[in-house]
Amino acid sequence: MAKIIVVTSGKGGVGKTTSAAAIATGLALRGKKTVVIDFDVGLRNLDLIMGCERRVVYDLVNVIQGEAGLNQALIRDKRVDNLHILPASQTRDKDALTLEGVEKVLDTLNKDFDFIICDSPAGIERGAQLAMYFADAAIVVTNPEVSSVRDSDRILGLLASKTRRAERGEDPIQEHLLITRYNPSRVDLGDMLNLEDIREILAIDLLGLIPESEAVLRASNQGVPVTHDDDSDAGQAYADTVARLLGEEVPLRFHEYQKKSLLSRMFGGVRR
Amino acid sequence: MSLKVDRDSMAFTFKGGMLPMTVMELTSADPERIREQLAGKLSQSPAFFQHTPVVLNVEKLDEPHLALERICAVCRAHKLLPVAVRGGPDPVKQSAWALGLGWFPPQDASRPRPLESVAGDGDADSADSAESVELSEPSVEAVAPDALPGTTAGGRIYRGTVRSGQQVTAPEGDLVVVGAVNAGAEVLAAGSVHVYGALRGRALAGIHGDALAGIFCRELHAELLSVAGNYKRLEDIDPRLLGTTVQVRLIDDQLGITSLA
Repeated sequence: MAKIIVVTSGKGGVGKTTSAAAIATGLALRGKKTVVIDFDVGLRNLDLIMGCERRVVYDLVNVIQGEAGLNQALIRDKRVDNLHILPASQTRDKDALTLEGVEKVLDTLNKDFDFIICDSPAGIERGAQLAMYFADAAIVVTNPEVSSVRDSDRILGLLASKTRRAERGEDPIQEHLLITRYNPSRVDLGDMLNLEDIREILAIDLLGLIPESEAVLRASNQGVPVTHDDDSDAGQAYADTVARLLGEEVPLRFHEYQKKSLLSRMFGGVRR
Repeated sequence: MSLKVDRDSMAFTFKGGMLPMTVMELTSADPERIREQLAGKLSQSPAFFQHTPVVLNVEKLDEPHLALERICAVCRAHKLLPVAVRGGPDPVKQSAWALGLGWFPPQDASRPRPLESVAGDGDADSADSAESVELSEPSVEAVAPDALPGTTAGGRIYRGTVRSGQQVTAPEGDLVVVGAVNAGAEVLAAGSVHVYGALRGRALAGIHGDALAGIFCRELHAELLSVAGNYKRLEDIDPRLLGTTVQVRLIDDQLGITSLA
């Protein structure tokens, strides 16, 4: 039985795809059979972040419409054995997805994988609702700014009402907060919302905190999920996030501004 | 299974809605007197009379029969659109239906008054209050045995965070929220609204016109506060009160916000 996790946010550009790629990679590196699905039909990005855009032949829509088998569409990651990618279609739109089709794909993947990561499109419309509908857990990606927090709040409301678990009255979806692009020095200056304010408003448990980092942009453009860059603060923060997702207790780091950041980063590297 | 429904095959969906509605409280049943007053108002504020839907409240009239058809005609002649009648004895109800109007039960009997009216702080309302307490007691007893866990008589207790885009309503009594009401969320109650947490969204108490209803919250950051249709926006709230524990009540048709700390 796979655990289905949706990575969602409401707002666009907060780091959903980056986080989905990094977390899926982290899970696979920890030995979990993982597949990451791009639900952003029409604005396909996950394959770029995963660095497999040149190997896309079939996609999610082809599978749903019966034009290709699931095994033909799944792309095996070149770097990690346990990781597969199911890309979205760039030439179609979200109407090409059906609830029954998505259910069938997830049911099939369920047998072979430990984790199914659904990379949700932005917004609260059909695409986003389909991505979250069958989920067991949700990772809500939030930036430390008011509009992102409000949109995350809206998504949390939908997770509690517009999902299969909610409609069937089963145990509610596990809700996890992932704060990305956190810059402690700008938080201290008051430019950004601080961690505690975000936690207080959203009132869900904190899964991870990813510092604003040059490593993230570099990783995106190189098509290598930032989890592979284990010297970087963001890479380490995603590794922590994955460990917490697997039930480990890991202390929070990168949330305070430290003048001796180079030194502590070195110690952080040694400890790993 | 909202996602499975083919929207194209449905002709309509039923939705609950709260619309602002002008209530015309009649103190005279004489169509001529109504006409005179309407003519005066029309010249003062013509913008108001744009086929505005109104509910005719006849609770204050003590007459078994009303010239409802003539009253409606007078209203229409002044570009007011009667859509329903509230209160009145059975013949009034029947003639409202015959005219194609809706009928609402009178305000006082339909639901228990909030607790504040029991306290009756010795002002002019206290005689009224005593009366409404008597009215409310039988209905409290009638509701209580069947009440679901977590509900109060005609009211509602909501545990958890009310999130942006969500609306929680207590259409008949008080609403108690054990948690925060976030920005972009809306909580409404026929009676009072109590928020045991931060109130960052909109709170509307007394949505059926109960001027004795109030809003109570642990931490005030509300986008909008309204009691019986009288409202204040965040901008209008004294910044010194923001973040504090307050009660909001209607005093002389003005929203008064006072600290409870």
